[in-house]
Amino acid sequence: MILLLSLFTIFNFHSQKAIVKNAWLRPAGKGMNSALYFDITNNSGKADTLFGVSSNTAKVIQIHESYMKNGMMGMREVKYVVVKPRSTFSFKEGGYHVMLILLKKTLKPGLKETFFLHIKHERDIKINAVVKKN
Amino acid sequence: MISKNYFSNSIIRKTVSILPLVLFITILWNGCAKKLPDGKNISNNNYVLLNQDSTKVNFPHDYNGKILVATFIYTNCPDICPMTTHNMQLVQQQIKSEGIKGVQFAAISFDPQRDTPSILKEYASIRDIDLSNFNFLSGTKKNIASLIHEFDFLAIPGDTTTSGKNRIYFFTHTDKIFLIDQNGIIRNEYRGSHVNRDKLISDIKSLED
Repeated sequence: MILLLSLFTIFNFHSQKAIVKNAWLRPAGKGMNSALYFDITNNSGKADTLFGVSSNTAKVIQIHESYMKNGMMGMREVKYVVVKPRSTFSFKEGGYHVMLILLKKTLKPGLKETFFLHIKHERDIKINAVVKKN
Repeated sequence: MISKNYFSNSIIRKTVSILPLVLFITILWNGCAKKLPDGKNISNNNYVLLNQDSTKVNFPHDYNGKILVATFIYTNCPDICPMTTHNMQLVQQQIKSEGIKGVQFAAISFDPQRDTPSILKEYASIRDIDLSNFNFLSGTKKNIASLIHEFDFLAIPGDTTTSGKNRIYFFTHTDKIFLIDQNGIIRNEYRGSHVNRDKLISDIKSLED
């Protein structure tokens, strides 16, 4: 009983440390690129690191950052992002995003896709993201 | 003892005396606010492009007499170009809802080797873009290079890498929407992904005949 309670506590602790909300995707055709956006909240008292995302939606998935330099917009891969304790990190338009490269299927508005977020001090978080119109 | 009437009359006299000045400043201000500066004339050269239906478009000559809102994109852009495209779409919808006529929209690909008319059509279709006054254009590599140069627009291929067998490529590029008047003169430029749509619509209205 104590063991079961402990396992439940551990599971519950793990499942509640990081919460992902507002996950959405850009529409794009098969073979093209898209982007995944979401808000991830770290409810724990120590910083955590999102170091990868996986899914069957695209052949290659990378964490990217859009940036402006000398009036031009560029993108670069970032290996990880740190989510500070008790704070929310937003993957949002024009900033950090999860880049979906070479889509395996057409992402039409309304479609939902599943992703797994790989976090250093967490179990993988499974999220469903919906394709928006824009 | 100065009467209340004295004060009232004094205020009225002062108000009346500065009224012409206020009117003059108001007229001057409105005139300046509405007048957009003349920029580069892009109608000196013509570029033969293809739209999403593979129909030939003479750019910018086919837009003579129309107000044109134009941008440059590449369809494999996951973040910035879709934001710009969406901003153009929202402006298009607002213009339509206000009954403003004679405005055209064009998104020209700076990745013509990959952005064929069918790719451009899918890009527009998947976003449910009204193509009645919105063209997605592509052309030869040489034509597009000349055209973007004419707009002082930069698109630099970079970060091309491979992941396994998959070739990954991106562009670093200017982020602009251009407002071009009925005579092919650029009248204003805006940051495409973060354009103040109200300002753009206001500028469009100021160019109406």
